[in-house]
Amino acid sequence: MGSARSDGTDGGGGADDVPVLAAHKILIAGGFGAGKTTLVAAISEVRPLLTEERLSSAGVGLDDLRGVTGKTTTTVAMDFGRITISERLLLYLFGVPGQERFWFMWDELAYGALGAVVLADVRRLRDCFPSVNYFETRKLPFVVAINCFDDAPRYDPEEVRVALDLDPDVPALLCDARQLSSVKTVLTTLVESISAANPSPRRMVSALPPV
Amino acid sequence: MPPDGRDGKWVRRDLGPVVRPYAVTGGRTEPADGEVLDLVAVVVAVGNDSGAGDDPIRQTPEHRKILRLSQRPVTVADIASDTALPVGVVRVLLADLILQDAVRVVRNRPAVQLPGNDVLKEILNGLRAL
Repeated sequence: MGSARSDGTDGGGGADDVPVLAAHKILIAGGFGAGKTTLVAAISEVRPLLTEERLSSAGVGLDDLRGVTGKTTTTVAMDFGRITISERLLLYLFGVPGQERFWFMWDELAYGALGAVVLADVRRLRDCFPSVNYFETRKLPFVVAINCFDDAPRYDPEEVRVALDLDPDVPALLCDARQLSSVKTVLTTLVESISAANPSPRRMVSALPPV
Repeated sequence: MPPDGRDGKWVRRDLGPVVRPYAVTGGRTEPADGEVLDLVAVVVAVGNDSGAGDDPIRQTPEHRKILRLSQRPVTVADIASDTALPVGVVRVLLADLILQDAVRVVRNRPAVQLPGNDVLKEILNGLRAL
């Protein structure tokens, strides 16, 4: 009974008759073609998700706007996947479009997110600079996963870390976005780093006598 | 401007909706209650005893589809995915249902604070088991 009650309070206002469902989100960022879609598909149940893109002047020249005079929004498909951790705990992966014209979506997606994966392609490393800047500024925990494309040169993760000027607590690791085991390592590395940075439980642990 | 009730067969996921997205909301683009639900907000239908569950005047086929999907707690993102409606449209329709007391929000946004290490551990174990 005691544990059921503490579950209920965790539910944030859930009534007793409704099973508690918690959903968390992890963002998958990186430049165009860095492998976001591949990564989401490798580890999660991919689901179609449409969202709106506001067409601003930033999109003019990139999008063909002929014949759509006055249209200010268009729908775009997002990379979206669901991982069922348990019947009451879901983990969602959202691919964040890297292009500047999608930036209005970032704050909403980042709000309350557990953390983020920045997928890097060593051939176009600068493509992930905006994502790294964004997550550093928002203090959202993230890992840099260097997607090992078959035809790309291999770099040591430490070299990439220096090139990106990452803080020491930001993990950087090689990955193959096509492989479940590799993507699992990326996500578990992220969750472990979030856990390690979680201040309150650490304080609780340090208050306990050593075993 | 009456809501344009069309069902899902007019929507092709690969092409986007054939009907202009906000036709199903009667042109409204902002949720009536002003609340922007998070993609991972959890909602659930309120039992039929409220009497608001099946109002044919105020509820379009899309409203009813959302009501059916939320018989069990469900996230906004999953509703959008299952209805093939854009997220913004789902938010407008959900706000209508919330104002009608037909649906309530179980969890609006994920906590601003990180979840406890017990939840993180559960996520970690779940990922490792994949």
